[in-house]
Amino acid sequence: MFGYIPLGMAFGVLFQSLGYHWIFAPLAGVVIYAGSAQFMAVGLLAAGVSYAEAFIATFVLNSRHIFYGFSVMGRYPARGLSRWYLIFGLTDETYSLITARPPQSPGNVCYFVYLTGLNQSYWVMGCAFGASLQSFYAFDSRGFEFALVALFLVLLIEQVRTMGERWLLAIALSASGLTYLLIPNQFLLVAIGLCLVTLTGYVRTGGEHG
Amino acid sequence: MDNAQLFGFFVVMGIATFITRALPFVALAQVEGHSMLDRFGKLLPPMIMVVLVCFGLMSLEIESVDRGGLSALALSIVITLHVYLRHPLLSILAGTGVYVTGIQGFGL
Repeated sequence: MFGYIPLGMAFGVLFQSLGYHWIFAPLAGVVIYAGSAQFMAVGLLAAGVSYAEAFIATFVLNSRHIFYGFSVMGRYPARGLSRWYLIFGLTDETYSLITARPPQSPGNVCYFVYLTGLNQSYWVMGCAFGASLQSFYAFDSRGFEFALVALFLVLLIEQVRTMGERWLLAIALSASGLTYLLIPNQFLLVAIGLCLVTLTGYVRTGGEHG
Repeated sequence: MDNAQLFGFFVVMGIATFITRALPFVALAQVEGHSMLDRFGKLLPPMIMVVLVCFGLMSLEIESVDRGGLSALALSIVITLHVYLRHPLLSILAGTGVYVTGIQGFGL
C-alpha cells in the first residue's frame, strides 16, 4: 500500500504539465480517488474534452470496479457512513488488500475503514508531494507515464494468479488488437464491450462449472 | 479551463467513479445466488486489465522501433520482477526507472 506514494507522485508530476496550481493534484486524490482515472484525466484535460466525454471515459475505465463490489459485498457493513466511504474508496489496491484476507473471517468494519482511509491518505500525500515538488523544481517528467502501464501490469499479474480460464486473456488481447486497428478512438468502450460480450456468451453456455 | 471548471471536471469524474463502485451494492443488494456474478467477478477484471495494459501502451508511442524496444524491455522487467518477487512497488519503480532512463538518458 506504500506503493500509493510514488504512484501518486508520478500523477502529481504529470498533472503539473497542465499548468494548474499544485494543490489541485491532491484535490483530485480527494474527490476522484481513482489512480488510473486520474492519470487519464491528465490526457483528457490536455485534449480539452467536455464533461460528458470525461464522464463516459471515466465510467468505462472504471467499469471493472463494478465487479469488485460483488466480491466484497458480503464483508461490508449494511448501512451507515462507513459503508459509503468504503464503497467510495474501493480502488484496485484496496480491493486486492481486502480480498487477500480469507473470506470466512468476519469483516471487521473498523479495520476496513482504517485500511481504506490509510490508502487514500497515502495517495493524496503522494499527489501533493509530486505536484508541489514539480512546481518548485520543474524537473524533467518525460517517461513517467509508464508508471500507469506498470501498475496495470502488476494488477493483471495479481489477478491472473487466482484466475481459472486463462485462455480468456488471449480473447481480451485479441479484442484489444482488433479495436486498436478498427476503432482506436473509442478503444476502452469497444474493447471492454467485446470482452463483456464474449464472457457473457461463455458463462451463459455453461462455462466450466456453470 | 479555469479553476472552477477544473474542479467541476474532478467532481464529474468522481461521480462516474463512485457509480461504478456503488452499482453492485445498490442494484444487487437483494439478489440471491450470485454464482454467475461470482464467475464474472473472477473472470472479467483480469480481462479488463489486459485491455487497460494495451490502453496504456497506446499512450507510449510504441510504433517507433526505439520506443517499442524500450517499452518491451521495461515491461519484461516489470513482469519478471513481479512474477518472482511479488513486490508491487519494486516492480513498478524498476520498470518506470528503466523507461524514464531510456527516454531522458538515451533520448529514445
